[in-house]
Parts: sequence; C-alpha cells; structure tokens
Amino acid sequence: MVEIWDNYGLPMVWMILKIIAIVFPIMLSVAYLTLAERKVIGAMHLRKGPNVVGPFGLFQPLADGLKLFLKETIIPSGANRGVFILAPCVTFVLALIAWAVIPFDKGMVLSNINVGILYLFAISSLGVYGILMAGWASNSRYAFLGAMRSAAQMISYEVSMGLIIITVLLCVGSLNLSDIVMAQREMWFIVPLFPMGVIFFVSTLAETNRHPFDLPEAEAELVAGYNVEYSAMTFALFFLGEYANMILMSAMTSVLFLGGWLPPFNAIPFTWIPGPVWFALKIAFCLFIFIWVRATFPRYRYDQLMRLGWKIFLPLSLAAVAIVSGILVAFNLTPNHG
Amino acid sequence: MIEALAFYIFSSIAVAAAFMVISARNPVHSVLFLILTFFNVAGMFVILGAEFLAMILVVVYVGAVAVLFMFVVMMLDINFVELRQGFLNYLPIGSLIGLVMLIELATLFGSWVVTPVIANRGLMPTPSPDITTNTHALGNIVYTHYVYLFQAAGMILLVAMIGAIVLTHRNRPGVKKQDIGRQLNRNPANSVEIRKVEIGKGI
Amino acid sequence: MPFENLPDLVPVLPEIFLALVIMSLLMFGVFQRGGRAETDVNTFRVISWMAVVTLIVTPLLVLSLAGSTLIGFGGLFISDPFSVFCKILVLIGSAGSLVMARNFLEEHDMARFEYPVLVVFATLGMLMMISANDLISLYMGLEMQSLSLYVIAAFRRDDTRSTEAGLKYFVLGAVASGMFLYGASLIYGFAGTTNFTILEQVLQRDTQDEYGQSLGIIFGIVFILSALAFKVSAVPFHMWTPDVYEGAPTPVTALFAIAPKIAALALFMRVMVGPFGDLISEWRQIIIFISVGSMLLGALAAINQRNIKRMMAYSSISHVGFALMGLAVGHDSGIRAILVYLTIYLFMNIGTFACILAMRRGGVMVEAIDELAGLGKTHPLMAAAMTVFMFSMAGIPPLAGFFGKLYIFLSVIQAELYLLAVIGVLTSVVGSFYYLRVIRLMYFEDPDEPLDRPVSREISLIATLAGLVTVLFFLYPDFLVLSAATASSALFLN
Repeated sequence: MVEIWDNYGLPMVWMILKIIAIVFPIMLSVAYLTLAERKVIGAMHLRKGPNVVGPFGLFQPLADGLKLFLKETIIPSGANRGVFILAPCVTFVLALIAWAVIPFDKGMVLSNINVGILYLFAISSLGVYGILMAGWASNSRYAFLGAMRSAAQMISYEVSMGLIIITVLLCVGSLNLSDIVMAQREMWFIVPLFPMGVIFFVSTLAETNRHPFDLPEAEAELVAGYNVEYSAMTFALFFLGEYANMILMSAMTSVLFLGGWLPPFNAIPFTWIPGPVWFALKIAFCLFIFIWVRATFPRYRYDQLMRLGWKIFLPLSLAAVAIVSGILVAFNLTPNHG
Repeated sequence: MIEALAFYIFSSIAVAAAFMVISARNPVHSVLFLILTFFNVAGMFVILGAEFLAMILVVVYVGAVAVLFMFVVMMLDINFVELRQGFLNYLPIGSLIGLVMLIELATLFGSWVVTPVIANRGLMPTPSPDITTNTHALGNIVYTHYVYLFQAAGMILLVAMIGAIVLTHRNRPGVKKQDIGRQLNRNPANSVEIRKVEIGKGI
Repeated sequence: MPFENLPDLVPVLPEIFLALVIMSLLMFGVFQRGGRAETDVNTFRVISWMAVVTLIVTPLLVLSLAGSTLIGFGGLFISDPFSVFCKILVLIGSAGSLVMARNFLEEHDMARFEYPVLVVFATLGMLMMISANDLISLYMGLEMQSLSLYVIAAFRRDDTRSTEAGLKYFVLGAVASGMFLYGASLIYGFAGTTNFTILEQVLQRDTQDEYGQSLGIIFGIVFILSALAFKVSAVPFHMWTPDVYEGAPTPVTALFAIAPKIAALALFMRVMVGPFGDLISEWRQIIIFISVGSMLLGALAAINQRNIKRMMAYSSISHVGFALMGLAVGHDSGIRAILVYLTIYLFMNIGTFACILAMRRGGVMVEAIDELAGLGKTHPLMAAAMTVFMFSMAGIPPLAGFFGKLYIFLSVIQAELYLLAVIGVLTSVVGSFYYLRVIRLMYFEDPDEPLDRPVSREISLIATLAGLVTVLFFLYPDFLVLSAATASSALFLN
C-alpha cells in the first residue's frame, strides 16, 4: 500500500498541485485581460473604460463572471444537445492543456517533452473543433456561417504558421521548447528572422479569430457568429477559452521569437529580474499588441483574408524555409545535436 | 503497470470509438468519434515511445484531414438513413465474406511459422530512445536511406494537387475580382477629372 | 560540405530527368496562363510537343544504362536490362498516345496544359514501378502512376461518363492499393524486410523446406497478386476496365490500354519471379487461373459489344491473359515470350487506337463499331491499316501478333502446361471472331454516311508506322527476340 502511494499517489498529488499552480494564474490573467482590453481600448478611444465596480474598476471581471455564472443556461430546442454542450468545454480545455509544455523558466515546465513545439502546434490546430461543433450544434444559420468561416480561416493560417515554426526549428535543431529558448541566448529570433516573426504574429491573430480577422463572430453580419446561441456558463467557457488562447499564442510568440524567459541582454541589471517575470512581461507586450490591433484596424473582408493567407503568407513562409535552410547550409551554421 | 493500464484504456476506447464511427446515425457524430479514435491511437504511439508520430498524427489527421471531413459532412445535406436503405439487403452476403475473411485470418495466425532467417532479420535494431530522439532518428533515415521515397511521396502529392486543380478549377467569366495592384496604382490624376461647371449650363 | 555522401544517382538518371522536365513544364504552363482560350490552346500545344520530345529523349538516357545491373539508393531502385527494355516500351507507348491526343483534345475543348504534364507524371510513375526493387518504392511508383491516371480519366470533367470513369477507376484503384498494402505489410511482418534482393534470400526454397512454409507469406503474395491483377485488369479484377475504357476520353483510353498495362505486367514479372521466384509452386496455380479466366472472358464478352472502346477493353483483357500464360511458365523462356508479346501488343494497340481516333463525323468522335461499315470504300488506307491490326490481334500469320502468340505457346508447351496451351489456342480462335467481324463490316457492308475525310497528320503517321512494324516484323524478328532474351535473363541472374 505504502509503496503504491509512494510510486503513484505522491507524484500524482504533486502533479495536480503543479497544474493548479499553472491554471490558477492563467485564469486570473484571463479575467484581468478582459479588463485590460476594455481599459486600453478606452484609453485609445479617449474614454475611461470600466471604472465603477471597485477601485479603478478592478472588480469588474469578477462582477462579469458572477453574472454569467448565475444566469440560466439556455439550450435551443433544435440544438444537438451533446455536441452543443461539448463544444465550449473543448474550446476551454484545449486552451488550458497546451500550457503543459510552456517553459516559464529554465527547468520550470510541467512536461519537458522532446516534441514540445509539435504538441503546441497540434493543440492549437484543434481549436477549430470547438468552433465547428458549436456552429453546427446550434442549428442556426449565423452560427453555422461563423463556424464555416472560422474553420477555413484557421486551416489556411495554420499552414503558414507551421512553415514559420519550421524556420525557427531549422535554427534550433530541436523541437523542445526549452531548447528553443536557450538557442536564443545570443540573439532573439525576432532579429534574424524578422519578417517571419511578424507573419507569425499576424497568423496568430487569425488563429485566435481576433481582429482584424474576427470574421467568425463579425457582429455586423453574423450577430455573434458561432456563439450566437450560447448563454451563461457555456458562453463564459467560450469567452475564457478565447482569451486563454490569446495568452497562449502570446506565450508561443514569446518562446519562438522573443527569447522566452531570457532577459533582453545578458547583463547585470537585467539578470536580476527572474525569468518568469521576463516571460510574463513579453506575454503582456504581445497581448497589448493584440488589443492595440483591435482598436486600430478595420475588419478584413473574407476574400481578402483568404488572399492574405494563401497568396502572401504561404509563399513568403515557403520561401523563408528555403532561404533559411539555404543560408544555414551555405555558411555551415546548422545546429549540431546528437 | 501504468503503461499496461494506459494501453488498455487507449486501445479499448479506440476500438469502441471506431465502432461508433460506423454505427453512429449522425454523420457529424461519426466524424467526432473518428477524431476520438485518432486521439487514442496517438496515445498508443506515445506509449510506444513514438512521440513524433503521435504529434504528427494529431496535427495531420485531427488538425487537418478530419476538419475537412467535418467541413464536407456539415456542408452536404446527405440523408444517411436513405443511404443505408440497402444495408440489410447486403447484410447476409457481407457477413458471409466477413466470416470467410475471419476464418482465413484465424488459420493464418494459427499456423504462424517464423523461420530463423526471418526471425534474425526481424531483429534489426532501431536506435534506443536514450541515445537519440525520435525526430533525429527519423530525420537521419528519411533524408538518407529513404530520400528516394521521400521525394517520390512529394511528387505524388504534387500530382494530387494538380489533379484537384484540374478537376475543379474553372475560370468563370464575368466575376468581379479585386485587383489590388490596380487599386493601388490609381491616383487622383488618372481617375478623377475636375471640371468647372458653369452655372445653369451643366456638363 | 554536406554533399559528400550523396547517393549514387546514375541509375535513376532517366527518372530524375523526367521529374525535372515535369516541374519545368508545369512552371512554364502556370506562368503562361492568360485565361484566354487561344493562349491556353497555344500553351497546351507547346507543352504537349515538349512533353513528346521529352518522352522521345528519355529512352536515350535509359539506353545509356543498358547492359549492366545498377542498384541505387541502398537497394530501393534497380536498373537492369529488363527494366531498360520495359521502360523503352512504356516510353514509346506514352509518347505515341500523347501525339495522338493533341488533335482530339483541342477539338473537344479539353486543351489544357495539365494533360501532357499528367501523362508524363504517369510515365514517371511507370518507370519507377518498373525499376522498383523494394515493396515501398513499388508502391510509390504505383500510386504516382495511378493517381495521374485517375485524374486524366476524368479529364473531360463536364462529361458524366468521363467523370464516372474517373471515379470508378479511383474507388476501385484505391481498394486495390489497399490490398497491396495489406499484402505488403504481411510480407514485411513475416519476412522482416521489404527489399526484393533480401526477400529472395529469405524465401529461398531450401530454408522454406527446412523450417516449413510460412502461411503469412503466402497470404501476402495472394493479396499482392490480387492488387497487381487489378492493375493489369485481369479476371476476376477486370470489372472496371470496360466502363473506364468507354467513359474516358479516347486518347486516355489509348494510353490506358498501352503504357500502364506494360508497366504493370513488368512489375508482375519482377515481383513474381524475383523475390517470390522460389515459391512458384504456390503462385503458379493462381496465375494459371487468372490467365485462363482472362482469356475466356476477353474472348466471349467482346463478341456482343457495340462500342469499339468496350471491345478493345475486352480485347486487352484477353491479351493480358495470354501474357500471364507466359508468367505461369515461370522461367526464362516464358518471360522472354511475354516481353516479345508486349512489344507487339504495344504496336498493334497504338495502331488500332490511331484508327479509332480517326473515326470522326462532323468533327465529333463516333464510337460504335457499326460506324466502320463500308470503310473499305470510303477510306481504303485506313481500312487497310485497321485490317492489318485486327488480323494481327487475331493472330493470323505472318503478322506480328502471330509471332507474339507463337512464342508464348512455345514456352508454355516447353513447360508442359498442355491444358493451358489448348485453352489458349481455343480462346484465340473464339477471339478472332470479333476481330474478323470488324473487317467484315469494313469491306462487306455499305456505309450510311462516310466518316470525316482528312485524317490528321499525326494520327496517320502513327497508324502507318505501327502498321509497318506489324506487317514487316516477320522479316527481322531476331533483334526483338534477342534483346528480350537479354532482358529476361537479367531477372534470373542470381
């Protein structure tokens, strides 16, 4: 009995504690990301934003959450019940399980697997299912159109995202996320791979269905797109999932291009600040750009969106793969592992 | 013990989900079960230590292929109940063929003979996961011993692409298309004409 | 530099050349695309001729490898006299069908540059099949060939019959591929390798005798055999053939009847006498069954056909039956006979399809056999050519077809498979009925309305060349027989 506890029980409890230590801050940041978004956009619009609930409106997210929690969940009579309820759960869970491989500092990662980046890519490519299922199960034209758009959009941008990830991997020689970060000790990849970093970030905008690519929920045409029929907690799960995805994508951008937990310069005043703080700062920076883009750019038309994905990003990233690997081979810069 | 447990969980769910794929009434549910099957198979790959394959399976099959399946199944309004009308008619002969196949497979495994020559060949060592990672091991083979097959597979995909375009792409006349180059090249000098209109005369 | 351990590319030179040409033709075509009809037709014409030139140049590259056995890519690829012989046949067949296709495609509004590109792609796949020395590379070649052929079968995409042909071919072809893969996985599971050279050692007679037969290997062979039988359209896997031949555009049918058949039969021979050569007592009865079935069905079912393409489909089934008879012999002389037979089959079929492509009325293809009525009066030359091909297919001496059959029968009798030989002779007598019916129609019936007069230059050129080969073969058969002997002995070297 004791042996089983020692071998399996204790590690499991330890693992659960670690998971909680990751999930809880993420949920908190999601809550405050919504507030930050409204505040930042308010500032950009020369308004105040939410400022009534609590000091500076700091309790606003809690009030919103409480409201959604207490409301009644409505399931449309024509809906496909099981799938309808499964959809928000899928979105939410997928947004959380991806964090298992994100390194917060050297060695500070839940599961340091060899194919971390592939895992991350796989999970992010699954995000489309929540939306597709929601759109189909709602049995509503708006929701369905939104889901269709979203599916096409996410698949299109995944292609160039994958290719850009390959350019990064070419420079690293490993699929392990910690290795990717450590390869950026000398220089963050955003510098040598500059245009790729930008394309990657734009693709993450499309991948998370954020402005200016938020066609799946374009309120002007589709009311609210795939989540038009959702209310209360089911809606809250979508909402949480979407924002958690934003944070995840920012983390991915930070790991791939902004040096993860590494300070910008390997010199004294910077190295005093611990790695996780640098990582959080970088994520916050990316999130700020997310919000900034939302406040400034008009929505893309659907054909423009597809054109950007297939006719501009795809050729550019394909060319980048060829060029980067060519340069690495020509100047004998290929990383050597194993 | 954990590994065996995980194996039984993954494999039983995979088989059950695969059965549901063919027996579910709703085609969308079928696709969802198919995804579940893929996931469990990926899980089994992980148990085998083939983590790279597991991830690629998820990325390619779940992330892309099944999405397109789902896309098509949702878009097409197929009455699957109608399609299954003939099912019962073909059931006897179908199950007969299935039974024959089953007996054949049983005899096959019943008389399993592995000659020593073959047994020795089957022991070709794969590199141990302690020495090298999945990705390196695969890369070392795919780009050296199997480069011919790798390139051939690429050519086959190219054929598939050409085929899809040839069979579906049409140049429709009379469709308005945005020509961004032309839009950007427009300037006031060649698109706006300013005329002075005299009062009471018009143009 | 990382180029020091580059694999030996010399044996693969023809394939690499073709692949590079395909890619450049594709780029050329894509960037020529103006969207206007005339420019599209021009592009098609240019690319079509360039593809033909490529297919004519490639045999020279292939010939440069003749006379020696080279193994490339660590045993995945083999280039020996056998592969050289078959590759040249395939290349001639593809080039011929491409030359004949140009006019037809332009007149039927299908002149898109992808057609020649896909034909060259299919040819590349066939070359890879012929040269495969491993189950995996075999599968790669097979898939590349089949995938391109599925697409060009449906190339006339606004025509229901063409799309039906493409779809049927695709679905059944996918099943065949599945069977092949299943068989290959069984072989791999029981033999521990996919390489032909090693398989041959593993499956040697004496080891098998000593330790007992592994049933799994036999199962694998049966599955692979079924898949290959599907690809050569042998009974009982022939069902797709008439529909696909009838539905596909005629130049595509011509291609189907010639090049893939030769490639698949070459594959059949290499797989059966190579790695599984020592298991001949196990697979011989299957081959005999397939062969007898194909000959019988091809002879009987063709009698009732009204559509000439359907008739040719059944004719090709029976020809495959004859060829497989040689495989049942299982040694040198049988393989040599098949190679001779295939060469003659190639020329007879190109010629026949050239004549079929010339069957037009008012610029539109006609396909009924009755349309040939009175051809002897309206088109004496074309009728003469058609007569030569029909007589040759029926096996009337001294035309080439007779010699093809002769060599096969000789080898079968040598191997003491008398019953098989008797069935072969009988079916060939029955089969000559429908070939002769075409000739009777042409000379002894009155025409309703004559077919279009000027036959395009390319088609008459090809019909003439093929006709000359068929007629004059008996003058100088040594060249072909000797090179076929060299080629076939290469399969039995070790």
